[in-house]
Amino acid sequence: MEKTMRKGDRGRRIIGSLALCSILLGLYFGLIAAPPDAYQGEAQRIMYLHIPSILTAYLSFFIVFIGSCLFLWKREKRDDILAYSAAEIGVLFTGLTIIEGSIWGKPTWGVWWTWDARLTLTAILFLIFVGYLMLRSLIEDESRGAVCGAVLGIIGFLDIPLIHMSVYWWRTLHQSPSILRPDKLPWENVHPSMLIALSVNFVAFILFYFYLLSLRFRLGEMREEAKALKLYGGS
Amino acid sequence: MGSWEYVFLAYGIVWFALLLYFFLLKRRVRKVEVELSSLRSSGDYQKNA
Amino acid sequence: MELLKQTGWLLWKDLLLELRRRESIFAMFFFGTLLLFVFHFAFEIPPDKAAEMAPGLLWLAFLFTGTLGLTQLFQAERENHCLEALLLCPLDRAALFLAKVSFNLLLMLMVELVVFPLFWVLFNLTSWAILPSLILVAFLGTVGFCVLGTLFSAVTLKARARELLLPLILFPLMIPIILATIRGMEILLRTGQFDEAFSWLRLLLGFDVIFLTAGFLIFEWVIEA
Repeated sequence: MEKTMRKGDRGRRIIGSLALCSILLGLYFGLIAAPPDAYQGEAQRIMYLHIPSILTAYLSFFIVFIGSCLFLWKREKRDDILAYSAAEIGVLFTGLTIIEGSIWGKPTWGVWWTWDARLTLTAILFLIFVGYLMLRSLIEDESRGAVCGAVLGIIGFLDIPLIHMSVYWWRTLHQSPSILRPDKLPWENVHPSMLIALSVNFVAFILFYFYLLSLRFRLGEMREEAKALKLYGGS
Repeated sequence: MGSWEYVFLAYGIVWFALLLYFFLLKRRVRKVEVELSSLRSSGDYQKNA
Repeated sequence: MELLKQTGWLLWKDLLLELRRRESIFAMFFFGTLLLFVFHFAFEIPPDKAAEMAPGLLWLAFLFTGTLGLTQLFQAERENHCLEALLLCPLDRAALFLAKVSFNLLLMLMVELVVFPLFWVLFNLTSWAILPSLILVAFLGTVGFCVLGTLFSAVTLKARARELLLPLILFPLMIPIILATIRGMEILLRTGQFDEAFSWLRLLLGFDVIFLTAGFLIFEWVIEA
């Protein structure tokens, strides 16, 4: 038991150090090395935060889905801990994505909020995550909470493509095509250092995410162990 | 173009929030670690006794 | 088909209970009508904009009325350990799911049957030709609502603050249905053409099929937890 704990801790420490390096690199590339955008100016640098964090949010939701499926299938507590951890961190990243999107919007569109497809979708994702956490905290029976959470995780994930479709149709049918969309990636004439900045920041976010996830997972495991010790007096 | 304020606002909020969560998480882990070690030691005491 | 027979029995039980006590149906009737009135006072709707805004207000009314019905859905089973008794019977859990979905669907359709003509009159709508399409859209939307609503009514069955928790969880998941029914009805009322609304209709159908299947498979784990 002690040995596997140490291996897990060491792995986490490695990911953590890698994350720290790539975060610092990402900050350098994003804020200094990459050139400002021709149209948006410096504000475009927020993209190096926004795109990695929204991708991380979706990854988190996927992990909630996988954990939920595994839990309903095998009923192993670890899968439920994984799902819960991914949901908790997912809320964080989704919330930050919304804030970043809003801040990016002010200098580029002039408004703090607009009901465009991407911001709306992120907001809906946020609401589903929050619903998950509220459900888990309001169900007192632990095993029941795990099953119900898993159901929400699965149904929520299945719903996401449908939500995407409906929100995009809703927005594109009504939006005039003349509005410049600054969050669309102009792949044709993008400066190579912008791509580097984006990739480095993406790696940084993913590594930091997995570091946080493994830490949160460890917390869940330890809580389970503490509960078992309290109930049964010995592991 | 001078929109550095927004960039710093965004970067500031994001990294502040992430680091805050990280430190709070560390604190939660430490709390449970303490609780766990005390439970384990009392359990060992009971096993040996 | 054993499953359908069991579903029929369970549905008949719920209908009989409802017919005798009439708890949910009248509350839903009045609540739906009341909401429609309140919306009419709350929003100044110019006559030319009526076709655009009306479906949204109608579906808001249905959504809140339906949520009222959902919180009552498993009420009979919560009292006197009836749920445990029901689970002790050798019933297919999916039959319970189908029965509850059908029961909620019937309740909502009955409410819509009353509220819809009221809405037609209050908003001075006249396009009779597209009425069948409107009914189809409304029906598919209601099915979707009942399927997800029943599933999550069971999920929140033993949670604290379930009257608040159920809408909190349900409404974000319902957004495809909300968008598709309202936009579909709005297109039909505005242009009278079926083709544009067809893609929304397809989305509705897809949603209903996907979540009816998912609920069918998942429900037994929820109810036995």
